[in-house]
Amino acid sequence: EGLIEFYGSFREMFEFFCKHTTIHGTIRLVCSGSNRLKTAFWTLLLLASLAMLYWQFALMLSQFWAYPVVLTMSMHSEPKMFPAVTICNLDPYRFELVSEQLEQLERMAEESLTFLYGPKASARLFHLRDKDTARDRDMDTAGDMDKDTNMDTDTDRARTRASRGQGQANFSSAAFRLSQNFSLVRMWDPRAGKNQSRVGFRLCNSTGGSCFYSWHSSGLGAWFRFHYTNLMAQLGPGPARPPQHIQDLVYSCQYHGQPCRPSDYVHFHHPVFGSCYTFNSKGTDPFWTATKPGIPYGLSLILRAEQREHIPLLATVAGVKVMIHSHNQTPFLEHEGFHIRPGIATTIAIRQDQVNRLGGNYGKCTTDGADVAVELLYNNSYTLQACLHSCFQHAMLRRCGCGYFYYPLPAGARYCDYSRQPAWGHCFYQLYSQLRNHRLDCFQHCPKPCRESLYKVSAGTAKWPSAKSQDWVRQALRHQNGYSSSSSRRDIAKVTIFYRQLNSQAVHEAPLLSENLLLSGMGSQWSLWFGSSVLSVVEMLELLLDALVLALLFCFQRLRAGSGPGTPPSA
Amino acid sequence: AATAPGKKITARLKRTLPVRGPQAPTLSELMRWYCLNTNTHGCRRIVVSRGRLRRLLWIVLTLSAVGLILWQCAELLMNYYSASVSVTVQFQKLPFPAVTICNINPYKYSAMKEYLSELDKETKKALETFYGFSEGKSKVRRSVDDWNSTGSDFFQQIPLLKVEDFSRTATDLRSGQKRKIEGSVFHKDSSIVNSGDSNDIVGFQLCDANNSSECALYTFSSGVNAIQEWYRLHYMNIMAQIPLETKEKLSYSAEDLLLTCFFDGLSCDKRHFTRFHHPLHGNCYTFNSGENGTILSTSTGGSEYGLQVVLYIDEADYNPFLVTSTGAKIMVHDQNEYPFIEDIGTEIETAAVTSIGMHFTQSRKLSKPYSDCTETGADIPVENLYNKSYSLQICLHSCFQKAMVDSCGCAQYAQPLPAGAEYCNYKKNPNWMYCYYRLHEKFVKEQLGCQQICKDACSFKEWALTTSIAQWPSIVSEDWMLRVLSWDKGQKLNKKLNKTDLANLMVFYKDLNERFISENPTNTLVILLSNFGGQLGLWMSCSVVCVIEIVEVFFIDSLSIVMRRQWQRAKKWWNGRRARGGSGKAPQAGDVERQGHDNPVCIDEDLPTFTTALRLPLPQDSPLPRTPPPNYSTLRLETAFTEQLPDTLELDRH
Repeated sequence: EGLIEFYGSFREMFEFFCKHTTIHGTIRLVCSGSNRLKTAFWTLLLLASLAMLYWQFALMLSQFWAYPVVLTMSMHSEPKMFPAVTICNLDPYRFELVSEQLEQLERMAEESLTFLYGPKASARLFHLRDKDTARDRDMDTAGDMDKDTNMDTDTDRARTRASRGQGQANFSSAAFRLSQNFSLVRMWDPRAGKNQSRVGFRLCNSTGGSCFYSWHSSGLGAWFRFHYTNLMAQLGPGPARPPQHIQDLVYSCQYHGQPCRPSDYVHFHHPVFGSCYTFNSKGTDPFWTATKPGIPYGLSLILRAEQREHIPLLATVAGVKVMIHSHNQTPFLEHEGFHIRPGIATTIAIRQDQVNRLGGNYGKCTTDGADVAVELLYNNSYTLQACLHSCFQHAMLRRCGCGYFYYPLPAGARYCDYSRQPAWGHCFYQLYSQLRNHRLDCFQHCPKPCRESLYKVSAGTAKWPSAKSQDWVRQALRHQNGYSSSSSRRDIAKVTIFYRQLNSQAVHEAPLLSENLLLSGMGSQWSLWFGSSVLSVVEMLELLLDALVLALLFCFQRLRAGSGPGTPPSA
Repeated sequence: AATAPGKKITARLKRTLPVRGPQAPTLSELMRWYCLNTNTHGCRRIVVSRGRLRRLLWIVLTLSAVGLILWQCAELLMNYYSASVSVTVQFQKLPFPAVTICNINPYKYSAMKEYLSELDKETKKALETFYGFSEGKSKVRRSVDDWNSTGSDFFQQIPLLKVEDFSRTATDLRSGQKRKIEGSVFHKDSSIVNSGDSNDIVGFQLCDANNSSECALYTFSSGVNAIQEWYRLHYMNIMAQIPLETKEKLSYSAEDLLLTCFFDGLSCDKRHFTRFHHPLHGNCYTFNSGENGTILSTSTGGSEYGLQVVLYIDEADYNPFLVTSTGAKIMVHDQNEYPFIEDIGTEIETAAVTSIGMHFTQSRKLSKPYSDCTETGADIPVENLYNKSYSLQICLHSCFQKAMVDSCGCAQYAQPLPAGAEYCNYKKNPNWMYCYYRLHEKFVKEQLGCQQICKDACSFKEWALTTSIAQWPSIVSEDWMLRVLSWDKGQKLNKKLNKTDLANLMVFYKDLNERFISENPTNTLVILLSNFGGQLGLWMSCSVVCVIEIVEVFFIDSLSIVMRRQWQRAKKWWNGRRARGGSGKAPQAGDVERQGHDNPVCIDEDLPTFTTALRLPLPQDSPLPRTPPPNYSTLRLETAFTEQLPDTLELDRH
């Protein structure tokens, strides 16, 4: 027997096929002999069943290729990591390098306040600054620090003063001058009535051809922030700042009834929210595993919520900002988080919810951000916010030629300030409104992450310390933790963050039609209409191949037979 | 000649009856027979295909189809126990949950004086020595000598220490003597918050009473935590000795705590509240506890139709060392659920109105084999110490209490008593605190096995709370409101109430939508079977019958053939041995072997079956040995092709 044996004739091949094929119907069609009626009947039947089959197949495949998903919910209760917690003291540091300009700016603010609201409004501000400068002068001349009252502030100042010499070398304050072009004006709003007015400042493009006002209903916060941004942009990324001590903010830290450890926090300075500390930012230390719900097993902090007012016009909120977020995530404090009041014990119950998206064909999402078109400027894990900020920063660099101060910079770029780019404000506000109106394609470029943890919080508050206990509590803090206030002002706060329940609700996307079920469905249809299987199709293929080979063979033979005795070869 | 008719009959019988599996003399015959007769696709091709490669290909194809079927069916089976979740949102009249309200301070400080005066004196002394803190400026600081004369029990039991970090020496508060610390040090301080002044670390030492070298030192960075923890230990000792009735009297009565009450727009009073004594929070009052059989419900959402109470928080009567915050603690829970106020209670503030909006969710999980949860808790080997329905928290607490009784010989104060045990106090169990701390550390580190034993409950109700706070009473309404409330409170308080002693609480449904999340099995047996059928049909057009066929042929018949072979061989050997070369029996054995297809009698005369026809050996005198024509005449198919096709002719000519 040969390796592959071919049929002697087409007839033989067909006969063989029709005898041995497993496809139902066909064998009858071919083999029902000369009975034409029968043949026609079977042909019709075969065609009809084929049509039904492929119609059903088409339905199923179109359904499959639409990649429908079902949402499934599940409750998990396995032990998990405590989330990362970021706390900020809402007291941005007054950088020595820009302090002179800052004072100038404050003076300008005072002038504006006087101009807009009368001389009374700026009195307090004046007073504050005078106190500030007086203290500075004190320190310079006497060099003696009043340890009890303002120790921390002053030591900070002393440190910066010491490092100012080196700092001054790479920073030339002469290059920057506060611009007088952006003065505040008041406009009466005709629609809102007589006593309603708006305050705003004018922003123009470089040629001055296009201008608009940035209007705000009250105050000069936005105006101050605008100038402050310009000012801070001088310092560039990662300005030299004095080392911060967590003791300045956190008096006591306990987790699971055990003290936190030195490695447990990360510090960064936010230009608006001040000194921030992130606990458990990596989420890898087994110390932070949450095994039980309840207040005793949560993170308990005693915080200093003193109002030091380094920059009074910027920090208008007293307290501490707390944000609960996932590990390895950049905390966007301007978007999320909540405030802790001084003099209050806040207990925050959290519950974790998870969202898992399928991604791939089933929807747009990204697992680690590697496949996103936008270059991420944050070196933390991917989040939608991080992507949007990065996208905006890139757009800003393209359109305005400089970077927005509150977002990180890509390599080789500079932050915007109006001494270099006088028109950046105009450019920025326009771009920002484009982003808001979804006219910037950032929302298209930034998919959602495939796995997201959401933390639902609910809070309870109680007065702390109580009237009866506050004396000894304050005394203990004063004696041990460098708590310096002697008055009974509300300047300490307590926060407890705990899991309300360890059950987390996870929302999953699951394919409605998996490959497995699709195949099952197809098999059912095939069996139902056609009674054949994949192997029958292979049989058909074999038949086709055989027919082809036979045809070629015969052609070749006929050619040879024709050319052999007939026409003489060209040779 | 005599045997001829009998033989003829058997031969005829064999011819007319189709060859059955077991009658095939060899295994290969059986396989051949199976492949030709089965309805399963693929197998037949292995036999009928021409050419070795073709055959090999078909074997591979068939086997891979079998493999695919097995793989897909395994996948179907593995996904069988999956659950889908249905969420239904119903708008209906919702039963109001039970609301438990406690004062943060458990017992009236003035009433507790007789039990706690010693301890408080000690605590004040400790504060004075450590921090130079003295209450009232008039008091003269006492000297250390005065200390020793009092012979304080508390410091002997658990000495408070000032620790010099790392040097492992500590200054005893009482004697002023430095002592070396032995045993393990448990730093309860965090060095991140440590101000660097190592003299300031305060802690206490717990020693094993039986073995005084076994000591554990607990230090805290903040004196606040250290003093409170130290105080609490002693407090629990004292409280453990007081009987429950006395404790209930020492705590707040319903009249003390509740000033006004409104529910669903109607006035309510203390009869709607059930007292419940919590070991750490004293007397708590549960609204709508369902104890009298009726559960209230609200007809409308919104703050008007919820529970609204004004609480009297007597801040002046607070224990300064036990609790440091002022306010009340509330918890919203199901009537059958035990309120773990100390774990997940929500605190509310004084001089403020706290509105708590609720959103009700009920969840139901499928129990085994879909997930590892328990319906009633009856299958958990931990005795439920609380007479409420099972929850994970109840199980964990009961488990810890049981471990405590087992290893320390007495029960922890904060949890209910198991049968036959009593609460720890150091008069009876001098060792319990060391034991407790060790055990609790094990519990937190999950070395007790409680977390492994305790499972989640399958169904639970949850009220998601949204809190908002506003100042209350407002400055303009303060005057008259306080006056009215003072009058309500009764004449015994002839002075006007202070607004920092009042808390207003509103608990209400935000909406009357009940969200019900339930898991349902995705697959049923019918779906699984139809999917199996689909897979079998898709790859091989196979069915259950063909599976039975396979079992029959490949197991039963094959086995019978092998057995028969063995039997014949044994018989032959036996006969051979007996007859010693006697050839009388041998041909008979040969006859048996030549049954079925091999029997040449079957071949010719009659109309052969499909099978026998196909497996005919090729005629030796065939003119074309390369393409042997099958014996189609048996199928009478010639009529379909009466004329010779031209290409065959051509081939012949060639």
